[in-house]
Amino acid sequence: MMRDRSEEKPARRGLLGAAGVAIGLAAAPAAGFRADGGTGGLPPEKENEAAKRAPRYRETDHVRAFYRTNSY
Amino acid sequence: MARMKFLCDADRCIECNACVTACKNEHEVPWGINRRRVVTINDGKPGERSISMACMHCTDAPCAAVCPVSCFYGTVDGLVLHDKDLCIGCGYCFYACPFGAPQYPRVGNFGGRGKMDKCTYCAGGPQQDNTAVEYIQYGANRLAEGKLPLCAEMCSTKALLAGDGDIIAGIYKERVQRRGFGSGAWGWRTAYGETITA
Repeated sequence: MMRDRSEEKPARRGLLGAAGVAIGLAAAPAAGFRADGGTGGLPPEKENEAAKRAPRYRETDHVRAFYRTNSY
Repeated sequence: MARMKFLCDADRCIECNACVTACKNEHEVPWGINRRRVVTINDGKPGERSISMACMHCTDAPCAAVCPVSCFYGTVDGLVLHDKDLCIGCGYCFYACPFGAPQYPRVGNFGGRGKMDKCTYCAGGPQQDNTAVEYIQYGANRLAEGKLPLCAEMCSTKALLAGDGDIIAGIYKERVQRRGFGSGAWGWRTAYGETITA
């Protein structure tokens, strides 16, 4: 009598398959800047009127280090 | 409230174009678009001067004044940004800008230029901060990461300053007071002799 091989399939194979998919996704090139101004097929995530005019600058340690090292 | 500014010290700029390269690399700006460039006058002659130019984020921006679709907007910290979804590529801003900052990806039939692109002060655009779609349309948003524009951070001679206008003006003032400027700068006469002035 033939045995159903799918029942014997070790769980580790699923793990290896998932790892393969993850590696493939990681190796896919990241979407880069588009000169045509399009979104590259991604859905827009527009800021509201207040958020787009909000200040972006923060005086972090990184910024303070820039000021310090440029002052001579 | 801090007001963001660029300040290029023409006494220090050596026309290395590192700022241009850093900008292109950070934002993956393609061939044909230069958000920043170095302009040199009196090239190869005494008194040669170079200055790194990009969008100067004007207080009363002429590009915004002439835009027929009002795609420009100002942030509270003094940046002039634009919305590429509204831009129709008419080119009016290019004619209005005294610094030649607006760039277009192509020259097509009947004046089609594509969406305008310009320096964003590494602050992205009207998409959510540091999202993939923001990077695709406007490039990196370093300000949202607590950093400054990479062109200024990369400058080897510290000619290009960026940040809070009051602070960088203070830095430049201190330099001039301590070292002088032009042919009065420390070391100038040793390097170039007594006769060459600028």
